Amino acid sequence: MPTLDAEKLKKEIVDSQIWRSIFRGGIWKDTPRDRAAHIVGNVWLHLHPVRVRKRALDWTYSWGLGGISFVLFLILTITGVLLMFYYRPTIGYAYRDIKDLAFAVTLGKLMRNMHRWSAQAMVVAVIAHMARVFYTGGYKKPREFNWGVGVLLLTLTLFLSFTGYLLPWDQLAMWAVTVGTNMAGATPFLGNEGPFGAAMGMHINNDVRFVLLGGTMVGENTLLRFYVLHCVAVPLIVGILLILHFWRVRKDSFSAAPYQAGEEKVEVWPNLIKREYVAMAACLLFIMVWSILMNAPLEAIANPNVTPNPSKAPWYFVGLQELLVYFDPWIAGVLLPGLIIVGLMAIPYVDNNPKGIGTYAWKDRKFANAIFTLGLAMWFILIFIGYACRGPNFFWYWPWESWLTPKAAPPLTWNLFGPDPKWKLFQTPNLSAFPLWIGIPVMLGGFLSWLVLPKLLQKELNGKKLQAAFIGVMLLFITGLKLGLHVPFGSGLWLLFFGYLAFYFGFILPQRYIRSMDWARYLVTMVFVIATMGVLLKMSARLAFNIKYVLTIPTVSLNI
Amino acid sequence: MTEPNTPSSQPNPSQTPQSVQNSPKPAAAAPKSGVSRGEFLWIGWAAMVAFVGGFAAATARFFFPNVIYEPSQKFNAGPLKQYDFGVNTQWLNEERVWVIRNTKGFYVLWARCTHLGCTPNWFGDQHRFKCPCHGSNYTIEGDVIAGPAPRPLWRCKIDVNSKGELIVDKAVLQDLPGLREKVPFFVEYT
Repeated sequence: MPTLDAEKLKKEIVDSQIWRSIFRGGIWKDTPRDRAAHIVGNVWLHLHPVRVRKRALDWTYSWGLGGISFVLFLILTITGVLLMFYYRPTIGYAYRDIKDLAFAVTLGKLMRNMHRWSAQAMVVAVIAHMARVFYTGGYKKPREFNWGVGVLLLTLTLFLSFTGYLLPWDQLAMWAVTVGTNMAGATPFLGNEGPFGAAMGMHINNDVRFVLLGGTMVGENTLLRFYVLHCVAVPLIVGILLILHFWRVRKDSFSAAPYQAGEEKVEVWPNLIKREYVAMAACLLFIMVWSILMNAPLEAIANPNVTPNPSKAPWYFVGLQELLVYFDPWIAGVLLPGLIIVGLMAIPYVDNNPKGIGTYAWKDRKFANAIFTLGLAMWFILIFIGYACRGPNFFWYWPWESWLTPKAAPPLTWNLFGPDPKWKLFQTPNLSAFPLWIGIPVMLGGFLSWLVLPKLLQKELNGKKLQAAFIGVMLLFITGLKLGLHVPFGSGLWLLFFGYLAFYFGFILPQRYIRSMDWARYLVTMVFVIATMGVLLKMSARLAFNIKYVLTIPTVSLNI
Repeated sequence: MTEPNTPSSQPNPSQTPQSVQNSPKPAAAAPKSGVSRGEFLWIGWAAMVAFVGGFAAATARFFFPNVIYEPSQKFNAGPLKQYDFGVNTQWLNEERVWVIRNTKGFYVLWARCTHLGCTPNWFGDQHRFKCPCHGSNYTIEGDVIAGPAPRPLWRCKIDVNSKGELIVDKAVLQDLPGLREKVPFFVEYT
């Protein structure tokens, strides 16, 4: 009886004319030359270098996050194409088709689950990939441009999620998109409800929101527009940017770590390819198991007239939703997201610190790491608050509290600066304490002096003394508020907490670390730092003192 | 018009086009229009930029539909006499309005939060509308008393037909105190 010789069989297959016609190169001898030729001669693999430094391969260096993001993108593409076979983007059919996918189509439920969970996993993976690249200084020269491409890809990943969740036409879809497109309606100049929008002649039927919706309300046109964006337009742009992103990774060299003399290099085939394969398989397994165990959510069919209570965005946007509680839509929905995107893209051009490239270096880049970590932490704390601490009527409920607990109605809010001043703090609703002719110079002057003060103070001040002095002054101020205006101590502590954060990250750290930068880089950095601190301060103003707007000019819909 | 089209004017065929360009003026004499290579390129590129820009702008206009098929904003809310005092929520699910009757008459609030367009709920015990999306609160008049909403709830234009029925038009709105309490945003009825 003939025995099956696996090795011999493999050799016969690999050396056969068919195999060799598919994979270029002569007889496979597994020499270094063969392995190099296998990378160079294969269209799918040739974006890799032939040899790569060993350090770049460490799991704990890259965590494979970029590759995992790409694998998830591929899973999304394949499952997405499959879902398109059964889905019709019309109000009459969309929700029913999703139901059919869940209950009447073989494997339909699994495909939809995989699509939904991969999308959420991709958001996590892309954010984690960005954080990894940041902490290893991977964006520094000559990789500034590729970091910018990456930021665009992150934005488009979120936009794909946003356009995707209208498609099931359930209540989540309806209200997420209603809120999202109304934010566009708050765009300055271009939206009918935004600052100066009315002055620009914007109406409900000619502004940027109208373009997004294809009408004046979320309806048939909106569903079709989002469908085309989600399935064709945006994936196309993402695909083009991905090619650019990968090509630049290759051209700018695979690892950011600076060369060491005589550093050993290993062959990409099989060392890197093997790792990529394992990451891909693990990723697919994870998504499949998750999709078998957990069904993608589907709420009741969309009702354009009634909003679920509470109504929450998907978790990655719930931080933005929480911001919208504290800020006017044009700030939380347009200005801050814009600043985040532009600010992230500006990082490589303002951070001219040559240290900390290719390693996780805390000591060498304290300022950059501190500000970036604060930003990330704020994003996820806001998500936590929105996701776990908000109950019916978007009222604050601690995670351990029942949503049936009766709550006192939220307190009345007032404005600090605005027209018709009352010259009195803590006023009745929607009235302003002080006039605009005080407010505008105070706000501008405060911003400008904060902007330049850390650099103008040429000598580094003693951080500990400064912090002690700040806390002392704040405690006196809080006590004064308590005694003079009967403001509760709890409110004072909120102010102290947020004020201290803003003082530490917005003044002490810039004073210590970026004082010596050139003016251009310094100013750009400070604008973004102050914007971040402004978010903290405005949140504390609302939480502690029920201030609705710091400054309001209702005639042009400008509220800050 | 351009140099490549007038080879006869080249004094020396052996010269490269580059040297033709660089040669002194008399060499490029006779029927030429006087457009240099640099000018030609400028005009060409400008024309192309103008075309692409214009076409892009026109394509942007493509995204503004000229005809939209949306439901009518006008509806018949039935006889006035059927309504109780206070906030009537029976039209919320179909027409997204509250019909409010007070001792003087009727007004109709459009149930769209002025913050980002969610539908608030009426809480009669606390006498407030509360929005489920970002926590805005309104009085029965529609004025904001808490949360991020920038302006009061809109009131719809209302009218009474010959049968004593309330006709609501959600396309005509008013929220300014002083105007919103008057015709056509208020109907007197006792």
